[in-house]
Amino acid sequence: MAAVKIDHVTKSFGENQVLKEFTDTFRDGEFVTLLGPSGCGKTTMLRMIAGFEKPTSGQIFLDDLQVSGGKTFIPPEKRNIGMVFQSYAVWPHMNVFDNVAYPLTIRKAPKDQIRKSVERVLEIVHLSQYAKRLPSQLSGGQQQRVALARALVAKPGLLLLDEPLSNLDAKLRESMRFEIKDIQVSLGITVVYVTHDQTEAMAMSDRIILINQGTVQQAAPPAEIYNHPVNPFVADFLGKVDFARGNAEKGRLVLEGTGQSVPYAGGRQGKVLVAVRPEKIRLSPSEGPLEGIVESLYYLGDVSDLRVRVGSVSFRVITAPENCQSLRPGSPVHLSFRDMMVFDDDGSLDEALRIRT
Amino acid sequence: MSKAEKGPESLRKAQSTARMTKYGLAAVFLLGVVLLLVGIHGQKVYDASGFSSESAYQAIYALGDDTASAWEQVLRPSFGNLTEEERSLARGIALTLLTADWEGRRAGGGEDASALAGTDEALTWKLLYASYLVNGPKVSASQRREILSSSAPDEPGYRLMVLHGLLSSDAPLPAGARSVAEGLSGPERQAALAQVLFVASGSTSGDVSDHTALLKKSVRDKGRQVDAFRMIGTGGLSWLQRLVVSYSRTVMLLGVFLMLDAGLLALLMRAEGTWRMDLKWILVLLIADFLLFFQLMPIVYMVVRALFPEGSFTLKTLERLYTESMNLDALKNTLAASFATMLLGTLIAFPLAWLVGRTNLYGKRFFRFLFVVSYMVPPYVGAMAWLRLMNPNVGTVNQWLRALFSLSDARGPLNVYTLPGVIWVLTTFYYPYAFITISRAMEKMDPSLEEASRISGAPPLRTVFRITLPMMTPSLIAGALLVFISAASCYGIPSIVGTPGNVNMVTTRIVEYVGKGQQELNDATGLSVFLMGTALLVLFLSDGLLARRQYITVSGKSVRPVLVDLRKGRLPLTVAVSLFALVVIVLPFLTILATSFKTDIGKSVTDAGNFTLANWSGVFSRSETVSCLTNSLLFASAAATVGLVIACVMSYLLQRTRLRGRNIPAFLITLGSGTPSVVIALGLIMTMRGNFGVNIYNTAWILIIAYLIKYQMMGMRTVVSAMSQIHSSLEECSQVAGASWFTTMRRITGPLIFPSIAAGWFLIFIPSFYELSMTTLLYSSTTKTIGFQLYEYWTFTSEPMSCAMAFGILLIVVLLNFVLNLLTRGEFSI
Repeated sequence: MAAVKIDHVTKSFGENQVLKEFTDTFRDGEFVTLLGPSGCGKTTMLRMIAGFEKPTSGQIFLDDLQVSGGKTFIPPEKRNIGMVFQSYAVWPHMNVFDNVAYPLTIRKAPKDQIRKSVERVLEIVHLSQYAKRLPSQLSGGQQQRVALARALVAKPGLLLLDEPLSNLDAKLRESMRFEIKDIQVSLGITVVYVTHDQTEAMAMSDRIILINQGTVQQAAPPAEIYNHPVNPFVADFLGKVDFARGNAEKGRLVLEGTGQSVPYAGGRQGKVLVAVRPEKIRLSPSEGPLEGIVESLYYLGDVSDLRVRVGSVSFRVITAPENCQSLRPGSPVHLSFRDMMVFDDDGSLDEALRIRT
Repeated sequence: MSKAEKGPESLRKAQSTARMTKYGLAAVFLLGVVLLLVGIHGQKVYDASGFSSESAYQAIYALGDDTASAWEQVLRPSFGNLTEEERSLARGIALTLLTADWEGRRAGGGEDASALAGTDEALTWKLLYASYLVNGPKVSASQRREILSSSAPDEPGYRLMVLHGLLSSDAPLPAGARSVAEGLSGPERQAALAQVLFVASGSTSGDVSDHTALLKKSVRDKGRQVDAFRMIGTGGLSWLQRLVVSYSRTVMLLGVFLMLDAGLLALLMRAEGTWRMDLKWILVLLIADFLLFFQLMPIVYMVVRALFPEGSFTLKTLERLYTESMNLDALKNTLAASFATMLLGTLIAFPLAWLVGRTNLYGKRFFRFLFVVSYMVPPYVGAMAWLRLMNPNVGTVNQWLRALFSLSDARGPLNVYTLPGVIWVLTTFYYPYAFITISRAMEKMDPSLEEASRISGAPPLRTVFRITLPMMTPSLIAGALLVFISAASCYGIPSIVGTPGNVNMVTTRIVEYVGKGQQELNDATGLSVFLMGTALLVLFLSDGLLARRQYITVSGKSVRPVLVDLRKGRLPLTVAVSLFALVVIVLPFLTILATSFKTDIGKSVTDAGNFTLANWSGVFSRSETVSCLTNSLLFASAAATVGLVIACVMSYLLQRTRLRGRNIPAFLITLGSGTPSVVIALGLIMTMRGNFGVNIYNTAWILIIAYLIKYQMMGMRTVVSAMSQIHSSLEECSQVAGASWFTTMRRITGPLIFPSIAAGWFLIFIPSFYELSMTTLLYSSTTKTIGFQLYEYWTFTSEPMSCAMAFGILLIVVLLNFVLNLLTRGEFSI
């Protein structure tokens, strides 16, 4: 059964088209992340699923029941969805228990059942001892858990999370990430997660849908989208990457501005764009197809972060510190690519990358 | 150059600066002590002389407005009762005043002088002689020639003749004079007589209804002459002594404030650990002095007067006051009307704020504008409109209703001259206060809070009741309390709507008592203390509530808040809101406009021959209107400008310094705005007529100061909030770049907060411009304002003309708002 089916959904605010022809199906129990730079339309998509916005065209189905599109529109309160807002939206005039119990109170559930459900869900988010507190007496992370508990208490089939971790500090963000994932797995609930943080997306998702300027760029599992991006934008957005222009011919790839080449087994010919991730470059004092000079070198403890200039192109290299103990800025060094991504160079690279800023 | 390089020399310099400052402060303090002692001495001399202009004021209040032609009846007998000594003193006073007045007229134009003297040659002669007696060598050569060329009169005889001439002239005499003169003794009686003479000299060309004003004015103008005469009469004093004696209280006041400021400054400087003189200190002290003297002192004085009417503690005043049925009614009416207005206003305001702010109602922006605009309409204009609409006999609405339900009665069904009528008019005027407060809070509320409720399964209406309403409670209560206190301290509406139907309110009673005079001034004080107490209680409550229950919510990026779809209710609700706007805003304005074009107010403006422009041309061609308008513009500008200077200084002190004591002026300013207008005015009346060393009674200053006290908070709040938005690093950066404090203010801070400064100026200006409550109590014949003029037109002259004027005022206010909008590039309008 498909938990969510989105069929050619387009959304415009006046002249401004923020989402174009979005089509996808989220499986039951799937953790789907809508990822993209701010303003890409991901939050709008989430709000359309929730029912806070109406699609300009296209349909949305929840559990095969049409909720939006055409003349049909089911308001948010009838969609049986759980949602966590970026600002938590914990009601300051109710204590934790009442906040969490709210969805059940609205549904007029019996008192003892409400108590049981709330206690259970507070257990899950580790807030049992805070039930009588007011939100103003809680930390940001705790408020976040209240919001999560409230979204889960009515056992919704679908949980929507709108950048839920962006207001938390780095450490807490990391631990919440795993907690949310654990809860999702144990409850077997379908989750749609919106974020602009690629690490979050990678860590939690079954599938990432990367959106840019209202258009879906790629929808795939994290490993797939990381290792096999369909275009330079995707490659650049997820992880770190350096680009170089090149020319592919006869099993070799000549990098523009370097006068040097690397072996190439792929099928592309002519002008290409090469994208290399810093951790996919091997350093060696003498071996490797590319010769360069160390520009800078930073020791970060677990890894070392270098910049190596090859001709007029510079590559970032992240490697274990022991691999570059003898190197100093100015030292000559050889590089080889363990892996690289090759795209046709249609000249749109600069434009694609500019969007990130 | 670093400090180290300057070395010991700079240290020495600093030490010597500190020493200089300390000596300076000590000198100022000593000067204050000396002034205080001199003033006390002067006061003793003054008191010993047995006459005071203060009692003259008291007597004026006792006289009231009543006039009758009872010269012979009143003055002759009372004059006869005087001892010889008293009689001669009174004569002397009369002569002094009369002469001065006569000379003034003479200088102003021969016509007036001869008019005063009439055809009675003897009187002219007598006047001239009196002039000679008093002024001696100062008499002009021509005057002396005239006097010398006449036969030599015997001095006492002529004095008597002058008085007699005055007594037998047919100028009107206030009826209250008799009882006053009979009930008084010694110096008080002299004072009363003196005032009768003031009337005689002042009212020969004046309007009968202006007696009180004229009296007040003549006492103010001539108080010093009275004193001077007394000084001459009680023994020769040098000019300096005379000055000290005449102005003993001013000298004392100066002394007290010098001591206070020097002491305070020393304390502050010690606390800060710096002995460098700084302009900021002076500014703080000046503002604090101003507020202490003009704002706090009158209020404290009034409370003291209410509790210690005869110098010892007694609740007699309050007891008498609150057992009188009219006052008790007024109290009950005030509480009932304010409470009902609060409930009704909030009940109207909350749904309106929600519909306009949170739903897809048609024409939301327009409605919002409309409701906010009615905030700046003078209350009495609304009152006038509702009188025209709901007058039981000729009210337009009543005529419609009678026609609609074919009622045969000549009256009703609605009657505005009742308590419910007053409540209705108060509500239509004060609900915007709650609307604005609630709207602002709604705008600030994170929309996710409501969305979270929707997604939890609650439909829109349940969300309103379970989430929005509870979240809004603090601002709801704050708005409600604001409506309560505004309604309770409103004078314009009850005086226009309530008084004709004998629905008295505390404010109207206070103004009535003030009009009546001395004993009643005590009663007015008692009522004011009640009103003040209520206001303070409300202020305290709402402050506490807001401080404690202000919900601060983390808000994420602001998404477009989801508007509640009213669906089927969209059209009916829009119609309902439109109807409300039509009845409460459009209808009254149209009524005012229509009435202003009518010849016969009983008929429709479209009836044949009933349309006229005469009211408009009549009003605006009168020089009195023009002078009143000029006055209003002038006073309001002055209040706004001074208020804004204070606001800027205060917001600098509050936002940029940790200067000790900076919160004291801020607190006083807040207190002032929470004080009901009539209470402020009454306090100023009782303390600003020379008895505390400052005599600005009946001048423009007293009006300007009253406006300042009441409205400067609006200016301060605007500037302070703008200042708080500018991070101090912007200023620090400029200072690091080498700019002086002044340059920084001029180049960085000033331009950034300019829109708020403009807005603050207008926020003080506009309400001051059309102010009525305080003006009613504080105006004099030369300082009438447009608001008061309108009130006079409405009460005494012609309703259509007053409507023309009201609409004119409204247009000016709207125009000002437009200017403000332009000046601040749309950032501010009221």
